[in-house]
Amino acid sequence: MLKLGRGEFDDTALLVMAIVNRTRDSFYDNGATWEEERALDRVRQVVAEGADLVDIGGVKAGPGEVVDAAEEIRRTAPFVAKVRAEFPDLVVSVDTWRADVAEEVVAAGADVLNDAWGGHDPRLAEVAAATGTAIVCTHTNGAVPRTPPHRPSYDDVVASAIHDTVALAERALSLGVDRRSILIDPAHDFDKNTWHSLELTRRLDEMAATGWPVLVSLSNKDFVGETLDRPVGERVVGTLAATAVSAWHGAQVYRVHEVAETRQVLDMVASIKGDRPPARVVRGLA
Amino acid sequence: MTISTAVVVPHPPLLLRELGGIADPVADLRAACSAALSAALATAPDGVVVVGPAEPGFDEGAPVDVRRFGTTSARTGPGLPQALGVGRRLLDEAGWTGPAALRALPPDAADADLAGLADELAARPGREVLLLMAEGSARRLDKGPGMLDERAFGFDDAVLRALREGDATALTALDVDLARELMVEGRGSFRLLARLGHPARTEVSHADDPYGVLYAVATWTY
Repeated sequence: MLKLGRGEFDDTALLVMAIVNRTRDSFYDNGATWEEERALDRVRQVVAEGADLVDIGGVKAGPGEVVDAAEEIRRTAPFVAKVRAEFPDLVVSVDTWRADVAEEVVAAGADVLNDAWGGHDPRLAEVAAATGTAIVCTHTNGAVPRTPPHRPSYDDVVASAIHDTVALAERALSLGVDRRSILIDPAHDFDKNTWHSLELTRRLDEMAATGWPVLVSLSNKDFVGETLDRPVGERVVGTLAATAVSAWHGAQVYRVHEVAETRQVLDMVASIKGDRPPARVVRGLA
Repeated sequence: MTISTAVVVPHPPLLLRELGGIADPVADLRAACSAALSAALATAPDGVVVVGPAEPGFDEGAPVDVRRFGTTSARTGPGLPQALGVGRRLLDEAGWTGPAALRALPPDAADADLAGLADELAARPGREVLLLMAEGSARRLDKGPGMLDERAFGFDDAVLRALREGDATALTALDVDLARELMVEGRGSFRLLARLGHPARTEVSHADDPYGVLYAVATWTY
């Protein structure tokens, strides 16, 4: 059982987490949902397409415009409140590494804190514990937020990801976060080169075997682009292939740009695994 | 004559609900089968006899083998013949817990075998419901199981008319060789029904061919 604030999900459910950026400069959408009404439209669209939760972010992951905590709160907290008002039952996640921001967005109605910079602010997990919020524990190899990788190397990238995310998960648990509300994320491309992200995908079953629910954020990332030699706008097919492999290996939550396509891939893999009946079967049985 | 009511239903694997997936592709048919069987069982018979196209020599206590066709359920090992498995399942779903006998009737059974089975039904003690597994042609659609054969429509119309009118004589007269060519799996069952005599009341509550096979649900009350 996965408990994400107001949402509870079976262990075999595969969840689509739709990215909603309140930024001017995120790599994929380039500010398409910077304006609040455009962002709300995006939420309406992804909900209609079958998203299980949204992940609202106010700061581009990579280097870019400086966004301090006050500005990040301005970008996210009132928007979370609007989403909450329009979709009372929708699970809302916020992508932030700052505890100060976390307190504001949880007060506005957020269910999940997506700590994409892996415990950079140790107080973030305390906010999750104090407020009954779910938390995503991410492997960044100690990287400073918003810094691109420079010659990262690992004895074993999968072992490192497991070690660090499980340590963060156990710390969150010890602080009082509900065991059902803690996820781990190997964080493809965060302080990793393409080889590392491919290996994390290839061996994702090892992360799933820890027993902690696994979230993956693969969508249109550079490891897909470098693997297929495709620019940002042409990575959906590669993303969906990585999604299928991750689902087969046991990842449960998928942070994505393309909701409808991801939903289809996850439904297909779930049916291949035997966790979901096909929608409608007639051929050969009539 | 100890058969008080004969309920005629088809036996596609899709009547095993879990095979159809999330949406039920034969919801209408299922509802019609359930209604007809429930009405017959509401007369409180002493038992039920299920007869369907199958080869003899099976274990009546065997489970319904869904896994052979699909789903992710556990394998059951040897199960009931398919048509009889559907009959058994329909009885279970109708909540029938009384005696139930299962009898195989090869589609091309010899007249002597048909007469033997009819005699057995007549000699059984008590008042029983016959659940007769039978369906029309499987050659009613281009993409259907047997490809299209235009002769299927005339043949099936004659069957439906006989079922509606309780015309046992017309069922006796069905062209068995044509029925075989038209993939009429119920050809043995219809011939058996003809031998049970003319009913006092009849109803055909469902007749449709959404996937190229004629599904009909009929009740003959004697």
